[in-house]
Amino acid sequence: MSALRSRFGALELQEYALAIVVVVLFVVGAILKPDSFPTWDNVRNMLTQASVVGVIAIGMTFVIATGGIDLSVGSVLAAAGVFGGVLVDPDGTTWMFILGAVGFATLLGTINATSIAFGRVVPFIATLAMFSIGKGLALLLNDKQPVGLLELNGGSFGDPAPFSLLWFGTGEILGIPVSVYVFLGVTIGGWIMLNRSRYGRHVVAVGGNREAARIAGVPVRRVIFSVYVLSGFLVGIATVLLCARLGSASPVSGNLYELDAIGAVVIGGTSLMGGRATIVGTFLGVLTFAIIFSLMTQLNLSTEVQQVTKGAIVLGAVLLQRPEARF
Amino acid sequence: MSLKRLSISIATAAILALGVAACGGEETTTVTAPATDTSSSGGDSGGGSGETVSIVASVPPTDHGWLGAISKNAQAAADQYDDVDFQLLEAADSDSQAQQIEQAISEEPDALVVLPQDGEALTPVAQKAEEAGIPVINVDRLFSEPDAATATILGDNYQIGVLAADYIAEELNCEGNVVEIQGLAGISVTDERSQGFTDELKKKCPDGGVEIIASQPGDFNPDTGLKVMENILTAEDQIDAVYTHDDDMAQGVVQAIRNAGREDEMFLTGVGGSQDAMDQIKEGGLYRATFLYNPNMAASAVNMARLIALGEGFPELVPPEVPRQVVVPAAVVTQDNVEDYEQYAFN
Repeated sequence: MSALRSRFGALELQEYALAIVVVVLFVVGAILKPDSFPTWDNVRNMLTQASVVGVIAIGMTFVIATGGIDLSVGSVLAAAGVFGGVLVDPDGTTWMFILGAVGFATLLGTINATSIAFGRVVPFIATLAMFSIGKGLALLLNDKQPVGLLELNGGSFGDPAPFSLLWFGTGEILGIPVSVYVFLGVTIGGWIMLNRSRYGRHVVAVGGNREAARIAGVPVRRVIFSVYVLSGFLVGIATVLLCARLGSASPVSGNLYELDAIGAVVIGGTSLMGGRATIVGTFLGVLTFAIIFSLMTQLNLSTEVQQVTKGAIVLGAVLLQRPEARF
Repeated sequence: MSLKRLSISIATAAILALGVAACGGEETTTVTAPATDTSSSGGDSGGGSGETVSIVASVPPTDHGWLGAISKNAQAAADQYDDVDFQLLEAADSDSQAQQIEQAISEEPDALVVLPQDGEALTPVAQKAEEAGIPVINVDRLFSEPDAATATILGDNYQIGVLAADYIAEELNCEGNVVEIQGLAGISVTDERSQGFTDELKKKCPDGGVEIIASQPGDFNPDTGLKVMENILTAEDQIDAVYTHDDDMAQGVVQAIRNAGREDEMFLTGVGGSQDAMDQIKEGGLYRATFLYNPNMAASAVNMARLIALGEGFPELVPPEVPRQVVVPAAVVTQDNVEDYEQYAFN
C-alpha cells in the first residue's frame, strides 16, 4: 500500500518537473522572440500542431502502460489518409472520409492486436511488420499519388463551413481551433479511462505484473488486444486532423511520428517497462516537443543545431526527474 | 567466321576497286567506302538485328512525384525498343540498392542505369560493375569517383537556385522578405539548390534589399512543409516570396499560407514540374513559377545505355562514342509559357 502511494508520489513529481520544463521553454521563447512567441496566435499554432501527435500519444500511453509498443502509428496514419481519400475521390462527403480513415486505421490496429494478443507475436515485431505494411499500403492504394481533399469543401478557403473537412483542421469555436478541442477531449477521456475506470487499472496491472494480474482475474489477453485497437482508432482521429489541415492525403505523411509519440510518452514519465502510466505527463511531453519545434523554426536554427538541441532538452527533461522514476 | 567475312569483304573491295579504277574514277574513296560498308553490316548482324541488349535500372523508392516520373520515363523509353530487355529495380535504401546492384552484376547485363539513393555510398558497387565490364550510366545524383560511371546525365541543381533567385529578385524589384523551404537536409540536391539561390541573390541585388528571413528544411514532404511554414507564418509579419525546393512539398506550404489567409501577401515558387504545380501556375495567384527538373533524363539515360551496349553512339553527337557527361538545363515555367511545358509535367 505504501509502495503504491510512493509510486503515485513519484509520478506526480515527474509531471511537476515536466511542467517546469514546459514553462521554462515558453519563457525562453518569450525572451528570444518577444514579438511572435508569447502570442495567442503562436499558442494556438503550437496546440494545433501538437494535436496530431498528441492524439496518437494518448493511445501510445495505453499501449506502453501494458509493456507494449506500437511502431506502426506513422505508417498507419499515411495508409488511413490515402484510404479515406480514395474513398471520396472524386465524389464523397466529409463523413465518408472520416469514417473511412478512422475505420481503416482501426482495422490495421485490430490486426496488430490480433497478432500480439492471440498470435503471441512480440509487440515490437508485430508493429514493425505493420509499419512496413502500412507504408506499402499508403503507396499502393493510390499509385503513390497524394489525394486532394479540397473538393470536400467545394475547393474554397477562408472560413470553412462547420463540419466540413477543413473545419476540423483549421476551423475555430470561440477562437480555439477545433483540432485543439479534439486533442483536449481525447486527453481528458484518456485520463478518465486510465485513472478512474476499472479498465485503466487492468491496463496498468497487465503492464506491472502479467502473472499477478492473471491470478487476480484480469482478462489479460483481452486488455492487451484492446490497447492496440484503441491505438489504431486514435491514429484514425489524428489522420483526420492532419488531412483536414493539409487539404490532401499524402502517402509519405506520418514519417517518424512513432518516435515523437513514443518520445512524448516516455519523457512524460510512463515507463517503457509497463505498469506505470500518466496521461498528464504524456500531454506535457507532447507540449514540450511542440514548443521545441516551434521555437527552433522561429529562431531559424539549422537542422543540425535543432537535432542536437532537441536531443539535449529531452535528455535534460528526463534527468530532471527523480532518480527512482527513471527506470 | 569473322576472318572469312573480312577476307570476303576485302576481296569484294578489291574487285570493286579494280572495276572503278578501270572506269577511271576517284579510287581512294570508292575503295574505302564499300569496305567499311560491308564490315559494318557484318557488325550489325552480330549486335543489332535479332539480338537484344539487357539493361538493368536501379532507383531509390519512388514514393515521391519526381522519382515516380523517373521510373515511369525509364520504363517508357525501354518499351520503345524491341531490342532492349529491361528490368527496373526499386530499392528502399542505400544498403539494399547496393545489394540489388551486386545481384545485377552477377547476372551480367549489358548496361546498368543507376540513380543512387546516395552517390557516395553506392560508388564502390558502381566501380565493381565497371571493373566487371558492365558500363554504368549514372543519373542525377553523382558518384564520388569518375571511374564509377561510363556516362552521366544529371540536372543542374545549382542552376535551379540561380534561376529561382533571378525570378524572385526581378518580381520583387530587389525589395522584400523571402522564405526558403529547403528539401532534405544534408544531401547535395538541397545544398546546391540553396547555394545557387543565395549566391545569385547577392549578385542580382548587390545592394541587398532581398532578405532571406527564414530558411528551414521541409524534407521534400508536404506535411513537414505545412508545419514548418505554419511556424514561420506565426513568426514573420511580412513575407513577400517563398522559394520551395520541391513541387510536392510546396503543396503543404501552399496550404499553410491559405489556412492563414495570407495568400495575397506573397507568392511562391516550386521545383520539379508536377501537374499540380503547373495547374496552379495556370490558374495564377499564389503559385507563380516552378523550375523544371526534367525527369525525362531517365529516358535519355536508358537511350544512352542502349547505345553504349550496342557499341554505337548518337549520330549527331561525337559518334561512335557517347558523351561522358550530359547536364540537363533547368527551365523557368511561368503562366506565360506553362502550356509549352505541360507535356513534361508529372503527377
